Amino acid sequence: MLTITFFTIREAFSRKILLVSLIMAAVFLGLYWIGVYYAARDIGGSQNPALAAVIYPQLLLLGLYFGGFIVAFLAIISSAGLISGDIESGAIQAVITKPVRRSSYALGRFLGQAIFLGLYAAALFAVIYAITRYHTGLELPGGLRALPVFALQPLVILAVCLLASTLTSTLAGGALVFMLYAVALVGGFIEQIGWIINNLYLKNAGIVSSLIMPVDALYRKNVHILLNPAAKPVNALQQMGPFGSLAEPSQWMMLYTLFYVALAVLAALYAFSRKDIG
Amino acid sequence: MNLAIESRDLTKVYGDKTACREICLSVSEGQIFGFLGPNGAGKSTLVKMLVGLLRPTSGSASLLGRPLGSLEARKKIGYLPEGFSYHEWMTGRQLLGFHSSLYRLDGDSRRRRIPLVTDLVGLTGAAGKKVRTYSKGMRQRLGMAVSLLSDPDLLFLDEPTSALDPLGRREVREILLGLKERGKTIFLNSHLLSEVEMICDQVAFIKEGRIIAQGSPGQLQAGQMVVEMQVEEVGAGLLESLGRVSEVIGSGRDTVRVAVKSSDQIPVLAETVIKSGGRLHRLAPEKLSLEEIFVNLLREGD
Repeated sequence: MLTITFFTIREAFSRKILLVSLIMAAVFLGLYWIGVYYAARDIGGSQNPALAAVIYPQLLLLGLYFGGFIVAFLAIISSAGLISGDIESGAIQAVITKPVRRSSYALGRFLGQAIFLGLYAAALFAVIYAITRYHTGLELPGGLRALPVFALQPLVILAVCLLASTLTSTLAGGALVFMLYAVALVGGFIEQIGWIINNLYLKNAGIVSSLIMPVDALYRKNVHILLNPAAKPVNALQQMGPFGSLAEPSQWMMLYTLFYVALAVLAALYAFSRKDIG
Repeated sequence: MNLAIESRDLTKVYGDKTACREICLSVSEGQIFGFLGPNGAGKSTLVKMLVGLLRPTSGSASLLGRPLGSLEARKKIGYLPEGFSYHEWMTGRQLLGFHSSLYRLDGDSRRRRIPLVTDLVGLTGAAGKKVRTYSKGMRQRLGMAVSLLSDPDLLFLDEPTSALDPLGRREVREILLGLKERGKTIFLNSHLLSEVEMICDQVAFIKEGRIIAQGSPGQLQAGQMVVEMQVEEVGAGLLESLGRVSEVIGSGRDTVRVAVKSSDQIPVLAETVIKSGGRLHRLAPEKLSLEEIFVNLLREGD
């Protein structure tokens, strides 16, 4: 399994998609840095601490939300063909006929890709955090707790990609996972609106979408970890926008997310162990 | 002699299509076994079941005395798939290193085997280049190197020379004969019947998922003979008369080739030509080639 894990990490670093994602990340971070820099310069000179208390966290949430989007994009594009890509190219035929269990192969692919995506997500989070902290001086005591939650987002997507790539083609699997991700994002917005106008149907729609793919719930959890409304009254105000989180996802939702990843991986191992590779 | 491959009623069904039906094969250790059949007959399906890519619908098989899927057996098996597609972002040497890891070869074995197999297939100069830069023939050579990496006791080769030029084909033949001398067993799927005839100890023909004949090339050729006759002005009447006493398998302006069951029929052929008014200049009995046996078998039952 370790051979496949290391192979997958090397493969991830050698593919063009990494270069594209690094360029995307560089452009995004560059824009983010410009936004934070000028906002901090002007707000810092305005002598209005209330303005800083509202705008700085909004900038951070914007960075984390779209940073998460970039990581999700990389996760889908690079993982949609994790197994199906090798099946379609035929490269798998010479691999799984070696003395390697199919479960070891699939698990090795998952772990290698998880390490790669986890490192990418952690690096992106660290840069967003550092830019925000350095220019705004915003107190973010939950940074170390938020980082693994941020890095868990692509792993949820990866687990579903792994399952899809054992069941269907790369294109169909990628499209399916992208749609699930879109459902999760839209559901997250709907739930947020549901909390603002106190509409039970919208709240439930958001919860269901989080059960389908719990990536948005992870983002909203992170918002609470970094900007805990209980810590400062003004933080409650910060949670009002589309990127805020008026209701903290529960510990049950976090447990559900871990269970969701484990179940998707186990289902993928089972499906792959029975799959005909022609 | 021990059996390297033994299958009992191995069957693979896809929906309402039976790709392989009750395949029973026995391949002794140290043999080169040729598996022949037209496109879509089920050749690759059988190989894929044997190497563990496809799950048999029913039946069973053993490789080197162990059941299908055994990791112990896989350590001693090499496989060159028909598509011979490999991870293109690696160099040839890196790819061989990766497959060595899959076989769990130790450091010494790797250092010994990787240069040995790259040299054997003639890829030493290209081992440091990315696989994506390889030609089709080089990829097939690389596939051959991968399949030989663990010095396997049993080698499955699915169309191993399809992308090679005549010189490359000869090199592969020599490699296979060298392996046979060392007691290795080779299961060869190929369309190139002349090659199979040259090197195989046993062959089996598959048609529409069923084995329709198997044995040594000599056994299959026994009792089947071709007679080529040189006759002035071959006409329809002569061909019709010959068709009554034998099977006409080809004719030209002044040549006729017929298949006969035994040499006893040769005088009858000469008599038939003369009775039909033909002038017989030459009559040469030959053994039926594997290709002709193959074509005859495929025609039977059509």
